[in-house]
Amino acid sequence: MQTLKGQIVEQLNLQHIKPEDIGDDQPLFIEGLGLDSIDALELIVLLQQKYGIKLANPSEGPTVFKTVRSIAEYITAHKAA
Amino acid sequence: MKPLYINGASCISPQPTFGTEFPFEIKEYHGSRLACVEPDYTPYIDPKLSRRMGRLLKYGTTAGLQALRDTGVQVPDAISTGTGFGLLDDSGKFLKNVIEAAEGVVSPTAFIQSTHNTVSSNIALAVGCHAHNNTFAHKGFSFESALTDAQMLATENESIRNILVGAYDEVTDYSCQIMQRLGLIKTSEESNLDLLKHASKGTIAGEGATFFVLSPDRGAKIYARYRGNKLLYKPASGAVLSSAIQGFLAGHGGGVSDVAVLSGLSGDQRRDTLLQEVNTGLFEGNTILGYKHLCGEYMTSTAFAMWLGAMILHSRVVPAAAVLSGTPSCPQHILICNSYKNDYALILLSVA
Repeated sequence: MQTLKGQIVEQLNLQHIKPEDIGDDQPLFIEGLGLDSIDALELIVLLQQKYGIKLANPSEGPTVFKTVRSIAEYITAHKAA
Repeated sequence: MKPLYINGASCISPQPTFGTEFPFEIKEYHGSRLACVEPDYTPYIDPKLSRRMGRLLKYGTTAGLQALRDTGVQVPDAISTGTGFGLLDDSGKFLKNVIEAAEGVVSPTAFIQSTHNTVSSNIALAVGCHAHNNTFAHKGFSFESALTDAQMLATENESIRNILVGAYDEVTDYSCQIMQRLGLIKTSEESNLDLLKHASKGTIAGEGATFFVLSPDRGAKIYARYRGNKLLYKPASGAVLSSAIQGFLAGHGGGVSDVAVLSGLSGDQRRDTLLQEVNTGLFEGNTILGYKHLCGEYMTSTAFAMWLGAMILHSRVVPAAAVLSGTPSCPQHILICNSYKNDYALILLSVA
C-alpha cells in the first residue's frame, strides 16, 4: 500500500503531502484529501498505466477510489483475475 | 473609438517588475533565454489548485488577479487576452505523454491546460466572472487584438466600465532549442544588456505575463491613457512604415515631435531594418527607448512595452537602461513601435 500511496502522490502532484501522511482508510475525495473529478481521471490513468487495469464501469469509481485501501483491494482483485 | 484609462497594471517578466517599486532594479542575464522572475503564488492561487498548474498558468493568473487588486475591481466587466503560443509547456507535455503511451490513455491535466485560453478562463473562474472572455492568438498581433477588442467593447457598450486586458507567453527548453536551430535565437552567452548595442543575427528569447484594467472612467490610480493601436502587415519599406506612423499620430491629434519612441528592436539585424530606418529617419532627434533587451523577444512583448511605457508616464522616470538614444526627458506621449517578423504594431500612450 505504501508503493500505491507514493504513486498517488506523484501522479496527482500532491505537493506538501508525503505518502506516509495518507491513512489507509482516509477518504480521498472531498472531506479527506480533497481530491476532485480531474484527480479521479488521473487515478483511472494510474490504474491503467501502472497496473494494466481498466476501470470498465465508471459507476464503480466512487467505491473503488474511496480510500487507498479500496484501491489496493481493487488492484489485487483485478490483477489476480 | 474611445481612449481608455489604464487604472490598474501588473507585470511578471524576466525583470523584477512584480511587487516592486518603479523603476525596478535591472536584472542582467548571460545567455539566450530570459525566464520570468516568479513571485510567491500562495496569496493568489490556492495550493490545492496550483499543484496542477504549469508555470505560465500560475504567473499568468497571478498577473491578472494582481491587476484587478491594483484597481480595486473584484470582477471585471470583460476579459480580453492575447497569446502567441499559449501554454506551450503543457502542450509539449501532453504530446510527449501521447507518444510515450503509444496513443493510449494519458493524464488529462496537461491536455486540459494546453489550450490558449486557459489563463483567461482560470482568472474568470477565480473571480467568478461570467462576462465576455476572449483570447486572441494572432502571432505578433495577439495583444493588440485584445486591446482593440477592449476598445470596441467600451465604445459600443456603455455598461462595460472595467476590462481586464492582458497577454502571456512562455519559452520552454524545447521551443528555445527549435528557435536556436532556426537561427532565430542567439547561441552566445552575451549579456542581455548588450543586445541592442551591436547588430548581429538572432535575438534572445523572452516571456512574460502583463495585465491591465482599462476603463473609459478615471480610476483612483491612473497610470496612463491608452489612445489606440494600428497594425501593419509586412510594410514594403521604411517609407511606408514612416507614412503609416505619421498618419496614426495625426489621427490622434499629434505629431512626430511629440512622442518618445519605445522601439521593438530585437538585436537581430535581419529583422530590425525597418525599425532602425524609422528611428534614424522619421524619429531623428526623438528619445528612443528599447525594451526587448529587458524582457526578451516573444509574440506578446508589446504588453511588457505598454507596462513599461505606462510606468514611465506615471512615475515621470525613464530608466537609464531603457534609453537607446536621445535625452531621457519625461515624455507626454509614448509610441510603441514593434515588429515581430512581418507583424508591425503601433500603440500610443499618453499621460493621464
